Amino acid sequence: MQVTDFTLAVENLVVDRGNRRIVDGLSLSLAPGEIYALLGGNGAGKSTTLFAILGFLPFSSGTLTVCGHDPRTKPDAVRASVAYLPENVALYDHLTARENVEYFLKVADCPRSRADIEQAFESVSLAATAWDQRAGRFSKGMRQKTAIALALLRQTPLLLLDEPTSGLDPAASADFHGLLEALSARGVSILMVTHDLLGAADTADRIGLIAGGRIADEWRAQESGPRFDLNILHDGFAGVK
Amino acid sequence: MRLVWTIAGAELRLMLRSRLALVGVVTLLLLSAIAAVTSAVQMAETAQARAQAQIETDEQFKAQPNRHPHRMVHYGTYALRPVGPLAAFDPGVDSFTGTVVFLEGHRQNSATFGAARESSDLLRFGQLTPAFVLQTLAPLLLIFLGFAGVARERERGSLRALAAHGASARSILGGKAMALGVVALLALAPALVALGWAAVRQPHEGGIALVIALAYAGYLAAWVLGIVAVSGIARTSQGALIALIAAWALIVVLVPRAAAGIAGVADPLPSRVDTELAIAADLRRIGDSHNANDPHFAAFKTKLLKQYGVTRTEDLPFNYRGALAQEGERITSQLFKDYAARADVIRQRQSGWLGWAGVLSPALSVRDASMVGAATDLTTHTAFMNAAEAYRFDLVQRLNGLQATAVSGTDDAARSKDPLADQRTRISADFWKTMPEFEFNAPSASARMTAMVPSLLLLGLWIALAFGVLGWAARRLERHGA
Repeated sequence: MQVTDFTLAVENLVVDRGNRRIVDGLSLSLAPGEIYALLGGNGAGKSTTLFAILGFLPFSSGTLTVCGHDPRTKPDAVRASVAYLPENVALYDHLTARENVEYFLKVADCPRSRADIEQAFESVSLAATAWDQRAGRFSKGMRQKTAIALALLRQTPLLLLDEPTSGLDPAASADFHGLLEALSARGVSILMVTHDLLGAADTADRIGLIAGGRIADEWRAQESGPRFDLNILHDGFAGVK
Repeated sequence: MRLVWTIAGAELRLMLRSRLALVGVVTLLLLSAIAAVTSAVQMAETAQARAQAQIETDEQFKAQPNRHPHRMVHYGTYALRPVGPLAAFDPGVDSFTGTVVFLEGHRQNSATFGAARESSDLLRFGQLTPAFVLQTLAPLLLIFLGFAGVARERERGSLRALAAHGASARSILGGKAMALGVVALLALAPALVALGWAAVRQPHEGGIALVIALAYAGYLAAWVLGIVAVSGIARTSQGALIALIAAWALIVVLVPRAAAGIAGVADPLPSRVDTELAIAADLRRIGDSHNANDPHFAAFKTKLLKQYGVTRTEDLPFNYRGALAQEGERITSQLFKDYAARADVIRQRQSGWLGWAGVLSPALSVRDASMVGAATDLTTHTAFMNAAEAYRFDLVQRLNGLQATAVSGTDDAARSKDPLADQRTRISADFWKTMPEFEFNAPSASARMTAMVPSLLLLGLWIALAFGVLGWAARRLERHGA
């Protein structure tokens, strides 16, 4: 595969914040429809990598492209290709779920019809009674669903998720992973930063273990039998923690 | 620009749905509207009362019976400062300087009946006028509505969400500024209506009313830009609020007060008592018209006798006492003028201090521009006092002239002993009717507009500075990944 064929291509990425090197020679790539779970301890550089991909943080060296666009030179094109779900989904409490989605779609210059929005809500199993409720009353799961609906509506080729299942109950977490698989089937590449080993093993096509700002180990899902050896994953994760 | 409108729309929706913000906006609107209405009503009443009082005092003067002209010099009259059409918007120094001057011979009186002296102490804290609301209260309410505009988004993480959806820092700050600008415009609306109404009633004031409105729009724009910039720079909304309240206290309260204090210390104005004592001392030095042996007036007498080729004042073709009164008045009036001119120079220097303080406070610049534009500034008051003094001098000299020409010198000399002579010195009441009435015209609109230029330039600098800080905040936000 050529670099331009990847939705996300990162090569020897180095990100410094102040005098600290947070990301130190990280390389990874995502093909269309691939789900990549980035595991690692606190301060390993997971979120910093996401911020660098979004163009929020400059990087010192290496290459990084999203759908062929460099966030340093074409941040708008990159952001138009990426939907980002932070750990704490930032919805406006004074707006309803529908109004939140409409607003962000408007900001992204991505108009969608009322029917499209309702369909997206249905596909993320957000109860119809919540559509016109103010987000201030939402549980974390409802906020996640609203944000995922927004990501669906944006129809971007890349989805970045930062600890998407933290704080979700097991049922909501399972629903969420089901949604990710559905998105992947549509060709959306997903980079997921997580501590949720089991969730990652259930959903990801590849799992990368980040330590010291670089990928220390990487596993690919097996096509038959258990997708990942959880013991190996656990030992690897415990080793870097 | 599309994004700016979108973000502005969302911010306005937040204000509409937030009870606190709504209360703030409604309070500001109410204050502004109440100030515009009450000030307009109050000023209309004051204008009518002063005009009526001026007519009555003129009529009383003209209705005096046959009298000796010098009795009329001491009877005196009043000059009332007329209320300008824009004074309802900004009464300026009107409440503090006094508006009525008693005009009489030999004396230059101060203006009296300033509203601040007449009313309770509460008035000294500031009248609720459109100018006061816009200068002092509007920035405070804009701070309460706007301090969290960007900082809140940062705290909640929605700033990054906006950026991730393609909103640039520039458009986010622009949108927030536009929303707050709409609120500022709402606050300005009642004042604009008041100014518009004044312009409709006095079309020649339309241009200057527009310039005043633009000055306030610029002042509030500088606040709006500054508030959004600080909100964009501060790490937390609490930090933004503290910084902005401190800036408000400094710009609106401390710098104007300190500047006035410094100006007073740097160029102290002699007190009224000191001035009167100094004038009395000068008068004693120059000469006493009632003292026959006074060197100045002895020389004056000698000069007159020589000029008319006579040896006794009784042989002069006019009443010497009238001429003497004219000369005495000329001297005292010249002294008054000299002292007033010196005080003017000091006041100008003090104004210069305050003008420069506008570099530190846009509130001072807009206050100055507003008072100059509304013709309620100290310069206009000084012009009124000068006009009153010129009128007083002219009136007294006309009466002294009547004493010189219409009253026989012999009768004048004997009037205290001879009732018949006294009767003859009382000239016809018709003379009082020929006396001109006091008129005061405030500086023309074009002159006031020219005088506003320095303050407007300073305001322009503040707006440019606010734009600069906002631009810097946007670059910083972009650099730090929102």
